[in-house]
Amino acid sequence: MSGMTGIVKTVAEWIKGFILFYGVYIVLQGHLTPGGGFAGGVIIACSFIMMELAFGKQRAEKELSEHGSHLLDEFGAIAILLLGLWGYFLPQMPFFSNVLLEYWPGSPFHIISAGSIPLINLAIGIKVGTGLYTIFVSLAEYKPELQEKEE
Amino acid sequence: MIYTLCIILFLLGLYGVLVKRNIIKIIISLAMMNNAVNLFLILLAYRSNGVAPILDPGMDPSILLETSVDPLPQALVLTSVVIGLGVTALMVALAIRLYHAYGTFDITKIRKLKG
Repeated sequence: MSGMTGIVKTVAEWIKGFILFYGVYIVLQGHLTPGGGFAGGVIIACSFIMMELAFGKQRAEKELSEHGSHLLDEFGAIAILLLGLWGYFLPQMPFFSNVLLEYWPGSPFHIISAGSIPLINLAIGIKVGTGLYTIFVSLAEYKPELQEKEE
Repeated sequence: MIYTLCIILFLLGLYGVLVKRNIIKIIISLAMMNNAVNLFLILLAYRSNGVAPILDPGMDPSILLETSVDPLPQALVLTSVVIGLGVTALMVALAIRLYHAYGTFDITKIRKLKG
């Protein structure tokens, strides 16, 4: 798996940043426009998957290593859990209550509004993007011989 | 009838599952059936010229009930899409293991029950 032809590599090099930042845009605008954490996370994962398909394993490892994507995956999960528990430990607040909305309401239809929903969207975006990329990497680089030796 | 597209998509997926012999094509057919069911649920909640189901302060809930789309199937389908992604990844992983064990994707040749 050393990559595809020069045409694919050149085009992938050009558009990888656009795809990545479009995904970030979808995640950050999740509380205002259609989209959100899951859809934006899938687009972010698509940019990394495109790099892996076009350039092969070594170059994709340089962009986002497998260990780093595992770490980000777990960070996203813990961030969602902490944002949920934040309201749980305050008095008179249910689980996943929108705590930030009371302290920092913002104005409707702006980026800083809706309390902690953008933060939850960001955590979901990180979780979904790196998780999907991890699934793809582990499916693409699956080596059954090594697996059987370990068993 | 607006649900005809869902039925056609679902039946195409069912045809693929029943007739095709390649495991990859069967997985694609199952994903198509999944998407057909999701589309059906979304279309059930659709209301032409409907508004977003957000209750602003000072708004009459009965007016919102009459004009807004139904948010419940949308939340359900959002979960269903994620589950479909997980199921597809699991099926692809099983297909890879089958290919390494038998050397083929043809289900008529996978019948030896070897490890």
